[in-house]
Amino acid sequence: MFDIELKAVSKKYAGTEEPAVKNLSLAVEKGSIVTLLGPSGCGKSTTLRLIAGFERPDVGSIALAGKVVSDSNTWIAPEKRGVGMVFQDYALFPHLNIFKNIGFGYKANDHNKRITEVIELVNLKGYEKRYPHELSGGQQQRVALARALTRKPVVVLLDEPFSNLDADLRVHMRLEVKRIIKESGATAIFVSHDQKDALAISDSIVVMNEGVVQQMGTPREIYQYPENKFVATFVGQSNILEGKMARDEESVITDLGIIPCSHTHGLKSGEEVYISIRPDSFEMDPEGQIKGRIKESTYTGESIDAVVEIVFDNGTRRDLLTHIHPEKEVKIGDLVRFKVLPHFIAVIRHD
Amino acid sequence: MKNNNMSQLNIKQNSEVGEETSPTILLFLRRIWLNIWHGNPPGPVLLLFGLTVAIIMSIPIIYVIWRSLFAGAERWMRLLDERIPRLLWNTLSLTAAVTVCTVIVGVSLAWIVIRTDIPGRNIWRWLLALPLVIPPYVGAVTYIIVFGRSGWARDFWRDTPWLVNSFGDYRVNIFSFWGIFFVLSMFTYPYVYLIASAALRKMNRNFEEAARSLGMSSSQIFWKVNLPFLRPAIGAGAILVSLYVLSDFGAVAMLRYVTFTAAIYFQRASFDTASAAVLSLVLIALTVVILWIESGTRKKNKYYQTANSYREPSILQLGKWKPLALLYVSAIFFVSVFLPVSVLVYWSNIGIRMGALNERFFGFALNSLRISGFAALLCMLLAMPVIYLKNRYPSVISGIIDRLAYGGYALPGVIVALGFIFIFNNHIPALYRTFYMIAIAFVVRFLPQSMQAGEASLSLISPRIDEAARSLGYPPWKVMLKVILPNMLPGVLAGGALVFVSSIKELPVSLMLRPPGFDTLAVRVYFEAHEAIYHLAAPAALLIIIVSIIPLRYMLSKY
Amino acid sequence: MIKSKKSIIVLLVAILSLSLYATGCGKKANTPAAPPKGSENVNTDPGQLVVYSSRNERFTQELLDKFSADTGIKVLPLHGAKELQIVEEARNVQADIFISNDLGALGYLHLEGLLQGANPKGIETIPANFRSDDNAYIAISLRARGFIYNKDLITEKEMPRSAEDLFDPKWAQLKNGYAITRGGNGGMIGHVSALRYEWGDAKTAEWIDAIRKNSAGIYQGHSEIRKAVGAGEHTFGLVNNYYFHQQLLEPTNNNVGFIYLDQGQGQMGAVANAAGVGLVKGGPNGANAIAFLEWLLLPENQAAFVGASLELLINSQFGAVYPPAVQPHIIDFKDLKLQNMPIKELGNYFQDTRALIEASGLDLDLK
Repeated sequence: MFDIELKAVSKKYAGTEEPAVKNLSLAVEKGSIVTLLGPSGCGKSTTLRLIAGFERPDVGSIALAGKVVSDSNTWIAPEKRGVGMVFQDYALFPHLNIFKNIGFGYKANDHNKRITEVIELVNLKGYEKRYPHELSGGQQQRVALARALTRKPVVVLLDEPFSNLDADLRVHMRLEVKRIIKESGATAIFVSHDQKDALAISDSIVVMNEGVVQQMGTPREIYQYPENKFVATFVGQSNILEGKMARDEESVITDLGIIPCSHTHGLKSGEEVYISIRPDSFEMDPEGQIKGRIKESTYTGESIDAVVEIVFDNGTRRDLLTHIHPEKEVKIGDLVRFKVLPHFIAVIRHD
Repeated sequence: MKNNNMSQLNIKQNSEVGEETSPTILLFLRRIWLNIWHGNPPGPVLLLFGLTVAIIMSIPIIYVIWRSLFAGAERWMRLLDERIPRLLWNTLSLTAAVTVCTVIVGVSLAWIVIRTDIPGRNIWRWLLALPLVIPPYVGAVTYIIVFGRSGWARDFWRDTPWLVNSFGDYRVNIFSFWGIFFVLSMFTYPYVYLIASAALRKMNRNFEEAARSLGMSSSQIFWKVNLPFLRPAIGAGAILVSLYVLSDFGAVAMLRYVTFTAAIYFQRASFDTASAAVLSLVLIALTVVILWIESGTRKKNKYYQTANSYREPSILQLGKWKPLALLYVSAIFFVSVFLPVSVLVYWSNIGIRMGALNERFFGFALNSLRISGFAALLCMLLAMPVIYLKNRYPSVISGIIDRLAYGGYALPGVIVALGFIFIFNNHIPALYRTFYMIAIAFVVRFLPQSMQAGEASLSLISPRIDEAARSLGYPPWKVMLKVILPNMLPGVLAGGALVFVSSIKELPVSLMLRPPGFDTLAVRVYFEAHEAIYHLAAPAALLIIIVSIIPLRYMLSKY
Repeated sequence: MIKSKKSIIVLLVAILSLSLYATGCGKKANTPAAPPKGSENVNTDPGQLVVYSSRNERFTQELLDKFSADTGIKVLPLHGAKELQIVEEARNVQADIFISNDLGALGYLHLEGLLQGANPKGIETIPANFRSDDNAYIAISLRARGFIYNKDLITEKEMPRSAEDLFDPKWAQLKNGYAITRGGNGGMIGHVSALRYEWGDAKTAEWIDAIRKNSAGIYQGHSEIRKAVGAGEHTFGLVNNYYFHQQLLEPTNNNVGFIYLDQGQGQMGAVANAAGVGLVKGGPNGANAIAFLEWLLLPENQAAFVGASLELLINSQFGAVYPPAVQPHIIDFKDLKLQNMPIKELGNYFQDTRALIEASGLDLDLK
């Protein structure tokens, strides 16, 4: 059962050339967490606001919990959609204490009981009388989430919820927020430009660029089997190579050699393809077939990001991104040899 | 906690399906409507609220335009031939002179107090803003008392033989261009002073140090770095001053210098309302020109300060200039605050001993309080929809409402009064010459003060708060009243305080619209000063000043 | 932060609720003052009276206060009102009584049908030519035009004696020149009307021009002129006679004299005018207006009308009281040579006089 359905939605802002969202179709299952992932200006925030009702689509229809809230004949104002929203800056009401913030607009008879429930859910028991400015960033976020959840909304929309937090808090809050949402059983749509957040919490990720959906899938699918160049390079890093399908239809012939590849989209032998090889697919091996010279190297603590210059037999040169184990010592100009591991290699679309 | 019955609950809450299928014309109109509001129209309640305010504000303008159009060509020709050129000269020359003077005085004072090490800086900062609480017509009265033909100065001169012998008889004529020029300058320079101070305080030291590192001297820095930076502030202050001079009535009437406002008042007093309307139209045209200049300069007024790198500007040493600077600052303070207040205290003393603080006096004071309090309340309430629309729902319509609101503010009080008399006498007689009519006229005059104070506060509230409230089920007007207003309260109250003070000091509308038996303090000062009954005028004037001090803190904190 | 916010709120709410409470008590109507003296109906509210007055506030307010004290009727005065305000409000009448310094104005209002006739008790005390035929307006006190002069600066012999003298620019050469009022001033309007009656429009227009050019000071009102002349700021000024009386009462600067205009043989006689009241047609408190008229016609109140203004009473027999300094200078108007224009006529001249004055530019000028 789909809680949220967008059909062929497009929106162009007045005064801009390109539409912010182009012909977007999306269906979100009840109880799942979806992240809209993409760079700035890709249309993900617009999509969120369209669902909430703060923007109107030019064409297309949006339905929440089976009821159409927006199409060419219908428009339901945001205050009537039953959507919960968590903003990037939390937007807590400064003049109300936590209890009143969370209970804002909740009119049912079990007002106090429900609010107490929600406060417990987000682990803020005892903070009811405090005011937003007295809380830390993480606490404020929990209040914002609690406030959105009080009315048991059809969907909770979260706009870049973690971008205001620093690194440690981020990791912690990702888990917290996921737990809270799952425990409440709500459907949630996140918007993020940070792939790590997306990969960590989502049941499903929608990668967007320039208003168009690039790929939809589980985190694993997105990462391991990117379908086009954009997804491959946006989510994680990638080296894109040209090649031809090998006869066995399970590997690809490239200038680097024959690369085994499991995810091939059923392409036939001899067809021209692109493949994406993630830096983690290269392992340093004194007997590896790939020879190159280290051009740049950056120590990140977790690994060494190295750019290796390969010279092919036909004389062309090529830079490859690789990750080298951080305990190895390498210098610029060193000659190294790699082999290719079969992980993280995917055939991607020709465009 | 699972969401088993979650969907059902929500469907009940948002069970409206929405509008039914609409025919094409309605669809077309709806599209235009949506376009005007950039896809985000306000709710009907909010819009109605805003439009009501706009209608009220446009009353005087409509009246003036209407009446002067029907004044007849012959009357236009007669006025254009004789009155208008002379009035234009009088008014414009006074405006220009006062503006230039206040800019020089205001900027120099701001500079001295903010940027130099003059002793007692902190006290001078607010002392020099004090003239704001003295209405210029009160200032005019005190100067007449001192420098008038039977004034203290003349008496002193007469009794000082060597003065008479060297310079002849007392010749200072306060009732002249120089008199009004001096009085208006001394009591309006704070507008420039305060704005310039605020700008100077925000000046980032980095600019100056960068200039110094490029080899500029102090005076070069002043002319090439500081002054250009100050230009928007100077412009804003100059416009406030020139608009004020254009609209001033009390001081010019007291000092017998006939500008457009005085002419309109006397023309109307002889009931040639058509001529009054014609003169009003010319005055409006002048005002529009000034406002147009202002909006042109305002566009260039975008200053971005990188918050993290801000450092307060350095303090310049005065050294040998210290005594001179001190003298200058003290002289201005003496002339614009100390002297007038002393005169008033002196005469109030006499008045109180003669029983001026009687029941009648308190009746007048109560009238002033009532009308000003009511006007302040109305303004606080009515400013909300206008600024809320302007800030959260920008569109052509919001812009028009906003501009209409400022229209009433820029118009001189006599014109507002004329418009109200005409409209209410002929079309809404039930309210004519009542307390409520004056209150509404005050709203027309002072709403923008409430709006400005509110706007500053509103702009600090993120629109996300509005959206959060809406997502939780509140329609736009409810969001405005129950979420935004409480968070704007200091700004709104400050606006109310400003309106309160402006209303207490206000003269032309109170004079022309008051119900029988409802004189305010300002009206009393006018009448009694005219009859030279200073012992009665002074306590009323002093009371006005005292009341004006209360919200001064708010006015100053704005800058 | 919250504490200070709260205190600000408390303070302003206090002020505002005070004003709201006060607002509730007041629109146009106010609760009446003390119960009437010696009135039978102590229980009924005596009501109000709306009085528009173009007369000097000081004299008028005393009179109105006395009326309130005597009858218990609360008076709502609008001082500084002009007669034409009655015209403007014709469709929406606000006033009951109009007190004016200028019978011409009252006459004009009567002509326009804005006053209504009455038959108040005691009306016969006012001579017929000092009231309209239907008693819509009555005159109580008399004033005449003349020159107030500063005795230190000029002697009586050197003074001009006639309005016609002012055609001569030589009077401007006197020390500090002479002073006149704005053309919109009631006394000036009346004077010009009389001159038009006497000389016709053309000569009158020249006269206005002459005094506009030659005068050294043009003032809002006569009070300012008498004080200025008394202080020596001008040698003489064109005023009504009772201002001379008032200046005599000043503690200083009171060395002044007065010349009644045109008293000589063959001269036209002093221009006279009268101050009085008119009954506004359709006013909101008609009964109280009649009560006011009847009260005013009582001898003691006619004298009180003069009050501190020190004008001459038409019914001088009612014995207006003048301070000792002034008494010797009071002239019984029967001894005065007056211009032979019936005072009632002033009304017919009113409108056109104003137009003439305005055409000359004297209207607005203030020097």
